[in-house]
Amino acid sequence: MAQLPQGGRTRVTEVPNDGRVHRGPEGADGGVAPLNGRSVDRGHAKDLFRRFVETRNPALREELVGLHLPLVEYLARRFRNRGEPLEDLVQVGTIGLLKAIDRFDLEREVEFSTYATPTIVGELKRHFRDKGWAVRVPRRLQELNLSLNKVVAELSQEIGRSPTIAEIATKARLPEEEVLEGLDTSNAYAVVSLDAPAGGEDAPAVSEHIGAEDESLEALEYRAALGPLIAGLPERERWILYLRFFGGMTQSQIAGRLGISQMHVSRLLNRTLAVLREGLLEDEETG
Amino acid sequence: MTSTVQLEIPASGAYLAVARVAATGLAAQLQFTYEEIDDLRIAVDEACTQLLARRGSATTLNVAYHLDDAELRVDVSIEAPDRGDPLARDTFAWQILAAMTDEVREQSEAGRLWLSFRKAGGRG
Repeated sequence: MAQLPQGGRTRVTEVPNDGRVHRGPEGADGGVAPLNGRSVDRGHAKDLFRRFVETRNPALREELVGLHLPLVEYLARRFRNRGEPLEDLVQVGTIGLLKAIDRFDLEREVEFSTYATPTIVGELKRHFRDKGWAVRVPRRLQELNLSLNKVVAELSQEIGRSPTIAEIATKARLPEEEVLEGLDTSNAYAVVSLDAPAGGEDAPAVSEHIGAEDESLEALEYRAALGPLIAGLPERERWILYLRFFGGMTQSQIAGRLGISQMHVSRLLNRTLAVLREGLLEDEETG
Repeated sequence: MTSTVQLEIPASGAYLAVARVAATGLAAQLQFTYEEIDDLRIAVDEACTQLLARRGSATTLNVAYHLDDAELRVDVSIEAPDRGDPLARDTFAWQILAAMTDEVREQSEAGRLWLSFRKAGGRG
């Protein structure tokens, strides 16, 4: 996966762990704190990472996984009341851990646990979201959603702007109520698998489409006090965030630039924001 | 003439969907486009989430929607006697609200925290 340019990121070091936006396991209810309790030797971990980055040796990777498994277990436990066996959740979380290990950049000077948490939580959430769609969304709504996608895309082409609900309803020959229902489904379940263009996260690097606006992106990470969370996002999601909130581009413009549909941009945007907000509310509710 | 819809929901993330659905339906009445509605939903989510994060001991969140010609104004507020810090302008959350709407304001008054924004529709 291609990396964004990463010159001069030292400012980011001041950002993590204000205790509210994102709270690592260290700050959570004292009894559990796995990393304190079992005491990951941070110097040892750093050394492992340094060697892993150089050699990409699978044995080192495995050792890193073992070292951080308590973090995965801790995070997985937060989801245990949703009817899935804990072992399965740990499996899912470990996929997130592996992604985080492969992407971690020592230059960032953030603790690995801070960096990895959003990726692991994101993986767990996605697991439930995917399942949620398969289990709970009635077939009728899935189909409604797909046909609305099509209508919105066609209408946008025809009239050269985003259509109103009334226009969508007329074209789809549906009551407005049903269109609204379909739109709610679209973002409530925010699942991309049904109509995502082939490639997903491994699609060509977004930076190839866009050029270097990395200074502002860095400012975003800094300003946000969300640095580690944003840094943990897939590249495409990061760019969409940046273009929409700082670049002043509309969803349609972003869609044109990235070669995906506007509704797909909408879903990615909503999903990303949901991930970023998780820390904010979940910690309060469990803490 | 302005019409107002008032919503009072429990101060919990579980009820955010209600605030969002109300906004969607009202914006559709005002002929907002699909994209404008999506922006609006993001703004409602963000404003509610930010106030919920400051809820302290508050148990309810209030959302008022004011419909005016082709414009929707949304006031979100929460009781927060012990947590008076409004949303700072140099945060990502503020940036989201500013990018999604035409005007954002925050206010701390009479023991309540407010986040208000205005969004006009129909420009396509």
